[in-house]
Amino acid sequence: MSITVQAEPKKQHRSLSDKKLEAITGYLFILPTVLGFVVFTLGPIIATFYFSLTKYNMLKPPQYIGIENYVDMLADLRLLEVSRNTMVFSVSAVSLTIVFGLLMAVALNQNLLLPSFIQNIFRSVYFFPILVAMIYVAMIWQFWFHKDLGVINYYLGLLHIEPIRWLGSSQWALVSIIIVYVWKNVGFSMLIFLTGLQNINKDYYEAAELDGAGSLQKFFGITLPLLSPTLLFTMIINSINAFQEFDSMIVLTGGGPGDASRSLVLYIYEKAFRSFDMGYASALAMVLFLVIMILTLVQLKLSQKWVHYE
Amino acid sequence: MFAPFVWMFSTSLQPGSEAFKVPPKWIPTEWMFSNYHTVIFEKEVPFILFGWNSLKVAGLVTIGQLITCSLAGFAFARLRFPGKNWIFVVLLSGLMVPVQVMIIPIYVIMRTLGLIDTHWALILPWITNIFGVFLLRQFFLTLPKDLIDAARIDGANYWQIYAKIALPLAKPSLAALAVVTFTNTWNNYFLPLVFISSKENMTLPLGIRSLFNVYGGGNIALVMAGVSVAVLPVLIIFLLAQKRIIEGMLRGSIKG
Repeated sequence: MSITVQAEPKKQHRSLSDKKLEAITGYLFILPTVLGFVVFTLGPIIATFYFSLTKYNMLKPPQYIGIENYVDMLADLRLLEVSRNTMVFSVSAVSLTIVFGLLMAVALNQNLLLPSFIQNIFRSVYFFPILVAMIYVAMIWQFWFHKDLGVINYYLGLLHIEPIRWLGSSQWALVSIIIVYVWKNVGFSMLIFLTGLQNINKDYYEAAELDGAGSLQKFFGITLPLLSPTLLFTMIINSINAFQEFDSMIVLTGGGPGDASRSLVLYIYEKAFRSFDMGYASALAMVLFLVIMILTLVQLKLSQKWVHYE
Repeated sequence: MFAPFVWMFSTSLQPGSEAFKVPPKWIPTEWMFSNYHTVIFEKEVPFILFGWNSLKVAGLVTIGQLITCSLAGFAFARLRFPGKNWIFVVLLSGLMVPVQVMIIPIYVIMRTLGLIDTHWALILPWITNIFGVFLLRQFFLTLPKDLIDAARIDGANYWQIYAKIALPLAKPSLAALAVVTFTNTWNNYFLPLVFISSKENMTLPLGIRSLFNVYGGGNIALVMAGVSVAVLPVLIIFLLAQKRIIEGMLRGSIKG
């Protein structure tokens, strides 16, 4: 109460024209961003929704057909496989990234006794792939996956494993893309986990040791529960990324063989810019939007919780 | 973990006839630095032009975002105007829209403006970035209010406060945004794939992909030399600003 009373006279000193000036400056400062948002985000979302209710090939003006595109989806067998691929890819890529990221973070955290420059080298080596464009990463792995000349099959051969047709068989195509995703993204998750681990109060571990807890017990009893907000958060971030993975698929397999490694995003791209079936592609994009929106809302809720947690 | 990059680099230095043989060779027997010369000055694939195009697009997008995001971030953090909060919330909601949802209408807009197959299609829609606005707003919120009030009493106008006081203090946040935006734009493959069709307008990712189409079957050493050259700037930036990049990316990830 006293605070408001004190603040009152100060405010009255500001003249009306000063307030106006501040507001006008504010609007001018946000103008470029708001304009960009309206023209290139908000407008396009509305337009995509409208296109999703039309038949549109860019040559003729869009022709309104109601919810026909959405009805067509139900009978689209390719969409069924594409959605299944997207789910399989996202779930496996995300869970593997998290499991390996966590293991690496715990291992690195145990070795905090190492000289700090060695720790830094580790951090850099794991972090670097995230900065390199997926297209280049995929081009390197494309050669690594080669059936006869690839590095991977060569070393598998030393272990007496028959050469695998990584990119050419429907059994392994999606697996190959998952491997590349995990390799590229695991370092980033590891760093987030490492930050989380270092925030855990050491007293908990000391107390547990006094009670005679082993390292596994400490991991499942202390580390994992205290890290859970970070874990969930990393999971959502990775799911959003994995859901939109495009570059590695178009480079490594082009979605093939057949539709074996085609994801929803790649399918949308091909419908829109190869077959110019913009209406149907828009309807697919709206579905993607819905899924991403749900994931993001969960993330926002979780990160609020996360901030509160600390 | 680093092996694919080691392989890339060593392959890029091998003679075309020896690269990509079984068993894989990790150290070249003959150091063919001429591969780099061949790739860079090859007529079929104008490598230097691709690099310049990439630099131009990534540079302009980064500069654009630094300006628009810092202006808006400052306004949202430190200026009072009606409707501020709900405008900010509406803008934030834009963070959850994947590019595939907007790409068709943006394509239509660019076609109407006659900007398909120009760099403007890669620049204009990304000249502002809600995440950047958020990042800088968070920073400007940490500036003490008194600083601004004092400057106001001394007769500085809001533009001067932004340009002379707030902006210089925001350098670390601006650098973080610049690095993230630059790398993302430099690395982007999807947008040029949609918008760019003629060779002279291609950016590096698209150009290097075409390098693969030219040499992929024959000389893999040349393809890897091209990839190495494209990865090099990222590596250099990373080594120079490693700490800041990692911090910036971690901070970025926390909010989205």
